[in-house]
Amino acid sequence: MHINYWTELKRNKFGRIGLIMVSILVLVALAAPFLAPHNPWVYQGQPLTPPSEEYILGLNDIGQDILSELIYGTRTTLLVGVSVAVFSTLISLALALAAALGGRIVDRIILRLIDIMLILPVFLIAILVAIYFKPGVVTIIIMLTLLLWPPGARILRAQTLSLKERQHLTAASSFGAGKGYIVYRHLIPDLYPLLTVNLIQMVRRTVFMEAGLAFLGIFDPTQKSWGLMIHYASEFIFTGAWKWWLLPPGLLISYTIIGFALIGYALESSLDPRLRRNIHYVGH
Amino acid sequence: MKRRYLDYILALVVILSLNFFLPRLMPGDPLTAIYGDALLDMSPELQAQLAERYGLEGTLGEQFITYVTNLLRGDLGYSYYFGAPVTEVILEALPWTLLLVGSSLLISTFIGVLIGIESGWRHGGRLDSFLIVAVMFLNGIPSFFMGILLLLFLSFQLHLFPLSGAVTPFSGYTGMALVMDILRHLFLPCLALTLVQIPRNFLLMRNSMIGVIRTPYILTAQGKGLKERVIQYRHAARGALLPIITRLGMSIGLLFTGVLFIETVFAYPGTGYIFYLALGKHDFPMVQGTLFFITLFVLAANFLTDVISAKIDPRLREHAYQLLDRT
Repeated sequence: MHINYWTELKRNKFGRIGLIMVSILVLVALAAPFLAPHNPWVYQGQPLTPPSEEYILGLNDIGQDILSELIYGTRTTLLVGVSVAVFSTLISLALALAAALGGRIVDRIILRLIDIMLILPVFLIAILVAIYFKPGVVTIIIMLTLLLWPPGARILRAQTLSLKERQHLTAASSFGAGKGYIVYRHLIPDLYPLLTVNLIQMVRRTVFMEAGLAFLGIFDPTQKSWGLMIHYASEFIFTGAWKWWLLPPGLLISYTIIGFALIGYALESSLDPRLRRNIHYVGH
Repeated sequence: MKRRYLDYILALVVILSLNFFLPRLMPGDPLTAIYGDALLDMSPELQAQLAERYGLEGTLGEQFITYVTNLLRGDLGYSYYFGAPVTEVILEALPWTLLLVGSSLLISTFIGVLIGIESGWRHGGRLDSFLIVAVMFLNGIPSFFMGILLLLFLSFQLHLFPLSGAVTPFSGYTGMALVMDILRHLFLPCLALTLVQIPRNFLLMRNSMIGVIRTPYILTAQGKGLKERVIQYRHAARGALLPIITRLGMSIGLLFTGVLFIETVFAYPGTGYIFYLALGKHDFPMVQGTLFFITLFVLAANFLTDVISAKIDPRLREHAYQLLDRT
């Protein structure tokens, strides 16, 4: 399973496009203060001003520059998406390793926990919890992390169980390697491909959920978030403002999800033996 | 299957506890957390009555017992925005949601499976490559944005469909005219929900097909000289459908989440729209009641899917839970 993703991604047409799409987003998020023509939190003038040279996408219902809101929204989306993906994957990994290596009782408890979490409608629970906690960025990251780890944990556990029986692990332990050493030097590196795919999928799911929650208005209103922009803009849906106020954030959400989905698809097809043609392995 | 029953019971306990503890964990007294600003408009007598009725006095244990007894009697509290018991409001809205979810469940499963069969049978081919890209784009559109796009372009710009609601108000339609009116209102919300759901069903079926067509029994069928269509549909598709029935069924849960957004966008008077209205008015008993009700519905639907697929496919009886990953 030692695949050089970088090569795989670059060789795959979908992977290349996805990488470019996501890189642009990352650049915009990093350079937001330089790219945004105005401060998106500051009142600029007459609310609902249509696009002009000064305000390329016009002003929203409280007189803030929409283009600058969009640019700063990139930060929220990526920050929430990437944090939830990293933290939930870490939880998945920790529980998967504990389940696979911690003996039967630990395994049964963790597996049961995963199974119960998987039957629960996660999004509905997210909404329920969010209504009471009125989440800002940090709260939403914690909440989604706690809700989104189970699918990854199940896959990683299954993979760890099968890796555990491989011969190079038997060899390592017969040379006297301790459990910690084996986990650190063998198991975790062998799980890298799955971890990467999981990470990408999680970003995609999180962007979806954050947008959904914000669309319902369950998000700190002082944050700049694309979903929140749609929430406010949809009240003015039957004025002309939808063209510059409602469509752009929606298209950006789709752009982000598609960008990550393309990377995920490219990685998955290089991991799935039924789908891949010829693959470049890392020299070992 | 016994294991599975226990999972569902525990899941139910999780949901009950969340619904019970969340309002009580909030700072301040639970009555304020549950009723919010509306409490200010209530007379002290009404407040006392509510507190007694929903068991907000006494120890947590006593409160929990009152809570569960109320639930068992179907009492989810009183909605002051709608001016009626929560359960009554939900039951009134439920038929519309069921109509919407039911119709798009049927259509999206049918279309998703059908194009999945075609795509998987000749994977790597032109149709397959096209569908994969198309589905990837479709998959990138959140349900509420899909709804907004359809509403803006087909209703608002082209005037092809009504802008909101489930029937034309005060039209006095009866019989066939009423049915047509309902269908016209149903069309766009149903289309939005269906389009959002198709990618998942398509990918499930496609990947299952790809797995099946490598198996020996397909080779046998080819060896017998059967027609390609016959092998594709009667042999391969059947075999490919069986292992994914559970996961196709689990899409009911996703549909009930999606419908929340779609109904909101189209002001379609089902449970999701009621939830959104209540949310905007801070009518917490209604908000919590609707969410609780939908969650129970999803749990019940998942449970039924589990039981049914175990009946259909004996292989699933032992391992049904293993197929649940990654919904």
